[in-house]
Amino acid sequence: MKAKTVLVSAAVGVGLGTLLLPGAALAETIVSPASTPVGGTVVLTATTCNPKAGDAIFRVTGPNRDQNVRSTTAAAGGGLSAELFTAGFTLGTYTVTATCGDGSSAGSATFTVTPIGGAPAGGRDAGDGVGTLAAGGALLGSAAGGAVILARRRRHMAAAAR
Amino acid sequence: MPWRRTGWTVTVIALLGTTGLGLVAAGLAAAPAPPPRPGAGVAPTGSPPAPRVPPLPRAEPVDVRIPAIGVRAPLVPVGADAEGKLEVPPLERPTVAGWYQHGVTPGETGNAVLVGHVDSPAGPAVFFDLGRLRPGDTVRITRADASVATFAVDGVGSYPKDRFPTDLVYGPSGTAGLRLITCGGRFDRRTGNYVDNVVVFATRVP
Repeated sequence: MKAKTVLVSAAVGVGLGTLLLPGAALAETIVSPASTPVGGTVVLTATTCNPKAGDAIFRVTGPNRDQNVRSTTAAAGGGLSAELFTAGFTLGTYTVTATCGDGSSAGSATFTVTPIGGAPAGGRDAGDGVGTLAAGGALLGSAAGGAVILARRRRHMAAAAR
Repeated sequence: MPWRRTGWTVTVIALLGTTGLGLVAAGLAAAPAPPPRPGAGVAPTGSPPAPRVPPLPRAEPVDVRIPAIGVRAPLVPVGADAEGKLEVPPLERPTVAGWYQHGVTPGETGNAVLVGHVDSPAGPAVFFDLGRLRPGDTVRITRADASVATFAVDGVGSYPKDRFPTDLVYGPSGTAGLRLITCGGRFDRRTGNYVDNVVVFATRVP
């Protein structure tokens, strides 16, 4: 009889857990965008926090940071949001853990602070061959000009000799 | 007398012409060949393939080998400069590549990033031929724990530096990925820089 009670209790527990699990899984924190160049802004959103229960707190931890950010606005799709400016952040991956105003957990998410733009990975000399080409062109031009003048002078001399 | 003067003039003109031709030839020879551009058919297709192998624990990479283009180079950790731009190994060591140390190590879940010069004042550098890589080519990374992470190239893209695909390179990924970065495209003599970055996208394979 006792074993039967335990079994029934366990079954009820499992059933309740199954029913409640989707609700717990919905507790979600979103960081958008998921990566930003250092100095960029990301928006932190706790989608399940009820604005009426008070501000949400986003705890941001990472390479050189452990700070709390308070939500400032109600998110358009539900929940609460805050903007986070990443100037001065060390490059790397940060974790955001959100807690709603009623003290319930709103999950966590990560975002990455990246270098700005592409990589300056070329190192050739900007003047490669340009000076030499220009000097060569100038000399060739002088030679051509001289040849034209010389040819004209010869023609004049030949005409005068006739 | 006039004929003697003419003879001198002809000699000077011939000298100018010969020297000019020589300098033009030397100038053309000194202008380096441009790095290869990735073909349109090898551009990355977007969604990365599903994870095929379990991720490795963190271990710093020590060298990179790319048999298809004859690369074997030591790796040094790099970060970002004072302006927040990705650091590149010093130009005096053009045969060395850099590993972006604020990201994951090659083989961990996420995108590990390697960067290397395309050229230097001395000529082609470690990643000069990245643009020649084709999907399926392999990249092998030896790690400090003596393990080797092998990656297969998914695609190669060329991007203007002011439209660098930050998310695709540094963004989150559920697979162990690898990104190789160098310069490419047109060389802007005014700024002394290439206008594009060539990026190789690869995924870890068994």
